[in-house]
Amino acid sequence: MSGLMQSLRALARLKPAQKLTRDYLVSLLTAVLLALAVGAGIMLVCGHNPIEGYGALIEGALGKPRAIGNTLAKTVTLCLTGLAMSLAAKAGVFNVGGEGQLYLGAMAAAVVGAQVDAPAWLVTLLALLAAMAAGGLYALLPGALKVKWKVDEVITTIMLNSVAIYFCSYLANGPLKTAERGIATGTDSIMAEAAFTPLIKLSNLTTGVFYAAAVALIVWYVMSRSSVGFEMKLTGENDRFARYGGIRTGSLMLWAMVFSGAICGLVGMLEVFGLHKRFLTTVSNEFYFDGMLVAMIMRYSPFGVIVMSFFFAVLSIGSKSMELSAGVSSELILIVQSIIIFFMAAEGGIRKALGERAALRRARAAAGERGRG
Amino acid sequence: MGDVLNILLLQNTLRTATPVVLAALGCLMTQHVNITNIGIEGMMLTGAFFAVLGSYFAGSWVAGIACALLVGLLLGLFYYVFVIKFKSDEFIIGVALNIFAGGLTVFLLRNIFDVKGSFSDPAIVPLPTVEIPLIKDIPVIGPLLSGNTLLVYVSWLLVPVCWAFIYKTPMGFHLRASGEYPDALTAAGRSPERMKCLASVLCGLLSALAGAHLSLGYLTMFSENMSASRGYVAFACVIFGRGNPPKVFLAALLFGFIEALGLRMQKYMPSDLTAMAPYVVTVVMMVAVVLMERRKRRHAA
Repeated sequence: MSGLMQSLRALARLKPAQKLTRDYLVSLLTAVLLALAVGAGIMLVCGHNPIEGYGALIEGALGKPRAIGNTLAKTVTLCLTGLAMSLAAKAGVFNVGGEGQLYLGAMAAAVVGAQVDAPAWLVTLLALLAAMAAGGLYALLPGALKVKWKVDEVITTIMLNSVAIYFCSYLANGPLKTAERGIATGTDSIMAEAAFTPLIKLSNLTTGVFYAAAVALIVWYVMSRSSVGFEMKLTGENDRFARYGGIRTGSLMLWAMVFSGAICGLVGMLEVFGLHKRFLTTVSNEFYFDGMLVAMIMRYSPFGVIVMSFFFAVLSIGSKSMELSAGVSSELILIVQSIIIFFMAAEGGIRKALGERAALRRARAAAGERGRG
Repeated sequence: MGDVLNILLLQNTLRTATPVVLAALGCLMTQHVNITNIGIEGMMLTGAFFAVLGSYFAGSWVAGIACALLVGLLLGLFYYVFVIKFKSDEFIIGVALNIFAGGLTVFLLRNIFDVKGSFSDPAIVPLPTVEIPLIKDIPVIGPLLSGNTLLVYVSWLLVPVCWAFIYKTPMGFHLRASGEYPDALTAAGRSPERMKCLASVLCGLLSALAGAHLSLGYLTMFSENMSASRGYVAFACVIFGRGNPPKVFLAALLFGFIEALGLRMQKYMPSDLTAMAPYVVTVVMMVAVVLMERRKRRHAA
């Protein structure tokens, strides 16, 4: 077995892994600056001062301890969703259904938090498990369809997002609707003592961060230090080869999908127990898609995902105060973010095109020299 | 239940199916050149916005359609440049395009019309409805076939046109070849890239038209994220119909029927539950396609 493993390892090394090279990071920086410049241009066209706009953005994201807390909390959300995406993608399945898994996780956590009568720590723990189970089981369905019948998981997971969101909305508007006044669509509030406590006053950064960190550490360990992680990587890179190597690729893909869903469920639980204290239909605003894209453009590198998540968190938290104090609509940031993603997805192609043009110019210059000489 | 299952249900079916039909026709173009385009959703949304923009400022639905088509053309070219020229991951570009469209339309909505959420105004000129002289007097079929908005008829017309284009013209043959045997096409002296460009642009145009029907035909307003995953449903219809326009059309009609049924069942059931139906059906459709194909293969073997 170890001999086989070794030869597998050697072969895996032959395949040029897409890593965060220096060139790639330079491109990333260029893309970010370019996107911010486009954002500044749009602000100018709309009659705002870009310096004022971006100043308000940074002030709003990092100006006060409370703002920093919110930004860090958002970073954690993006990191976890990015991690969920990476986990599945490494094994060769695309989990685009994180949003729905997140909603179900949030709903499960809210139900446990409100209904279970037990010591506070137990309620928190049970809610955590319920949320992860809900998210994981919901990911099991598209995962099983993919593994068993090869049904394209991208479309099924996207469809299941809408199903889960409408289902949770039905529960929050119907059978589980709170009797409390002033809550339009939401469930009963959870046991107050079971909720996470803020680490920075009035901010969204709560003790839930420690749970997030623990899960992230476990996943990182499994992915990069254990043989399961290695088998997963092989499956993702070349599943036929992995199968010949004796790896049960189907069940690996399935587990990757389930854990990916479980992490999304956890994100939902963190939102409920950290922020809203109940399920609200506004529990997430496409959080999963942001994290998913961050993970993709950072090529699933853990460190890269953390740094980029922080940057995207600054943009999205800061965008609200940019709107309030500088009058620039916060959606501008969505445009800036998608420009970064466009350029990073096309990074290789653009670099090649530029390189070819430069080579052509050099060749022409050389020909010119020769002509003159 | 008599007030649910009546002729109005069929009428609604045609209306709700039309944007999906148009988007699916666009999607099957890219599918034939072997590009998995999930950016249709964003193309549709942007088309819907610019249709309203054109109609509002020029005071004419023609301008609205022209505006949407122009934007569709640009998005199609953009998609081609990024996915084919720069060889980027079509999945990432598709998702990013959808997020970009969401951001752009809301940003413009707030900066041009100064509203949040949705924009409706009497100055938006909707698409005209077409009364067909003789047919409209036939009892049951009349109200079904006559009195629909213009793009409904355009979409019906486009189904055979697209079918003929893909399966009966040399260009359609080259289009399919660029997806299936690009090397053979190159050997025949044709550029697969040019065919892929054509497919992307057609996809952009048709998706934008689907958006225009949403905001000027189906409703006369623009609201945030009004495409509501219809682009993805269109994608599923293309898979279901294996890229063959008439079959894709039937799949879209099935979707339209489910959605219309859901809308009319709201009296009896919570609207959130009925809204789930089209998406559940899409998943079932995806599974059904794979199972049918497996069975066929087993019979062949």
